[in-house]
Amino acid sequence: MVDVGALFSVLVTGIGVGALYSLIAIGFSLIYKITGVLNFAQGQFALLGAFLVVTLSTSLPLWMFDVQVPVVAALILTVLIGAALGLLLERFVFRYFIGEPVLSVIIVTLAFLSIIDGGVRFFISSQYRAYPDALQPDWSVSLPFDTAVQAPFVLGVVLALLTVAGLMAFFRYTVMGSILRASASDQQAAMVLGVSIERTIVVAWALSIAITSIGGILLAMSSGGAGFTIGDVTILVFAAVVFGGLDSIPGAFIGGLVVGVLRQFGVYLEEFLMPGLDSVLPMVFLLVVIMVMPYGLFGTERIERL
Amino acid sequence: MSSAQEEEPPVIELDNAEIVYDRNFLAVQGVSMEAERGDIVALLGPNGAGKSTILKMISGIGRSERGEVTRGSVYYEGEGVTNADTNEMVDRNVTHILEGRRVFEDLTVEENLRCGLYRGGRRVRYSKSDYDIAFEYFPQLEELLDTEAGYCSGGEQQMLVIARALIHRPNLLLLDEPSLGLAPKLVVDIYDTLREINREENITMIIADQNAKETLEIADYGYVLENGQVELHDPAGVLMDREEIKEFYLGTSSEESRYSEIRHYKIRKRWK
Ligand SMILES: Nc1ncnc2c1ncn2[C@@H]1O[C@H](COP(=O)(O)OP(=O)(O)OP(=O)(O)O)[C@@H](O)[C@H]1O
Ligand SMILES: [Mg+2]
Repeated sequence: MVDVGALFSVLVTGIGVGALYSLIAIGFSLIYKITGVLNFAQGQFALLGAFLVVTLSTSLPLWMFDVQVPVVAALILTVLIGAALGLLLERFVFRYFIGEPVLSVIIVTLAFLSIIDGGVRFFISSQYRAYPDALQPDWSVSLPFDTAVQAPFVLGVVLALLTVAGLMAFFRYTVMGSILRASASDQQAAMVLGVSIERTIVVAWALSIAITSIGGILLAMSSGGAGFTIGDVTILVFAAVVFGGLDSIPGAFIGGLVVGVLRQFGVYLEEFLMPGLDSVLPMVFLLVVIMVMPYGLFGTERIERL
Repeated sequence: MSSAQEEEPPVIELDNAEIVYDRNFLAVQGVSMEAERGDIVALLGPNGAGKSTILKMISGIGRSERGEVTRGSVYYEGEGVTNADTNEMVDRNVTHILEGRRVFEDLTVEENLRCGLYRGGRRVRYSKSDYDIAFEYFPQLEELLDTEAGYCSGGEQQMLVIARALIHRPNLLLLDEPSLGLAPKLVVDIYDTLREINREENITMIIADQNAKETLEIADYGYVLENGQVELHDPAGVLMDREEIKEFYLGTSSEESRYSEIRHYKIRKRWK
């Protein structure tokens, strides 16, 4: 006898967790779509955001400085720092890799994976940091079958939807949006029209890291605090964007949800079958997607260079 | 007045230029050429002759393919612009229409045109309303504004890339193979339009093309390249009457036989 209530709860929680993956996946796709970089350090930017917000809002020191600002200010500051980091990365790193082979850029992002991880340990904290009450909203939304959706998941779904809608409108209706799509479609043709490729890279990284920080903060909220396992989300995000089609923003969103649901389903099945299914299921899914639908759901490019 | 014009430096001048890709592949060797203000200059020659390479180093886009002028110089209106980058040349009003009808495929025709309105993020403003210059010469585009450029026909795409460049109001327009893969009738139409634009808007043009007949008919001056070197150069009218050109470029109309004739020409020359 199938327990409909339990399955419904798996679905709802899966979508909630998935929305958080979606936010990070959207950040990943944004960079890939505009700059062609596969950023293996995406999860580390989420991690950085999660830790920054707790250091800024509590008495925890940030390297040699004691900063403590109200929670709302800490949230805004974290997103802004994320955007600023994107700006610096373009200026000092990725600008020099325009037109370089994909592999060398991938290796650079792998280096950043370790650098950010180490940087967080050195400058912020090397241990798990529980979130203060102010960062742990305790409300929830009740659904049928006695299912309650926790605040971070509700916020995640709402913010992910807003981000997708906002980005779609940005790409469709603004001039900067047209220019970003133009240079994504044909970089040289855009350059001879005077499009500044450097500028498009800045916009991509700044937006991406800002969105990813939000995802990281919500992930931390949903588990009570910031831990280094948040960085492991990269591989799940990978499954999500491969399913969605790498360069598609709505694809990344849907991919995130699917991976979230699969993960929760794995957790549910563990009781009857074998442990570890929550991490196995999304990866089996990743393999099947790569074999069966190499363009993903909405992608324009064949996935063969991974 | 006429003496002042004579003193004006050419819009573009290459002086004994050597162009190398990847620091080791010699693509163009000792090429000297120039384009006077208001002229249409034809750049002819078989595949691999170096036509595109020369245009790419003038607009600076060749730098993104690891191309470099390793000897000689390039001057724009008398100023040295050897190995200048694309941003600088765009600022100097040089617009390059790349080989192969490079429309932004998933953007609509209107969005494609819109990209012509910006330079390094800054909007350029003109007295005429924005797209007027495009629609004046290519009225067909007005009905296609909401169509995705990828779905346009080859001819429409070629018009679109020219129109997009015109919105940029170039002083020097570089066109790479504007007739590639188009029906003969369309080629004549597009070349007539280019001539008209050149006269009305006073835009200097360099057209690289394998279609020697049509190109020379609208050009003022022509250069024939082979193996990265200038083999012949003359005013277009003179060039058209040269035996080599008549025999090997103008004799036939079908593309295939044209290519094979050219190959003969190269082989014979080598054995002479
Ligand atoms: N990006 C590049 N890197 C290395 N070599 C190149 C590059 N582009 C062109 N070449 C080489 O330079 C030479 C000249 O090529 P170019 O494209 O300028 O010829 P073309 O006259 O435009 O020919 P086509 O009529 O086929 O367009 C060729 O041997 C070509 O292989
Ligand atoms: Mg060429």
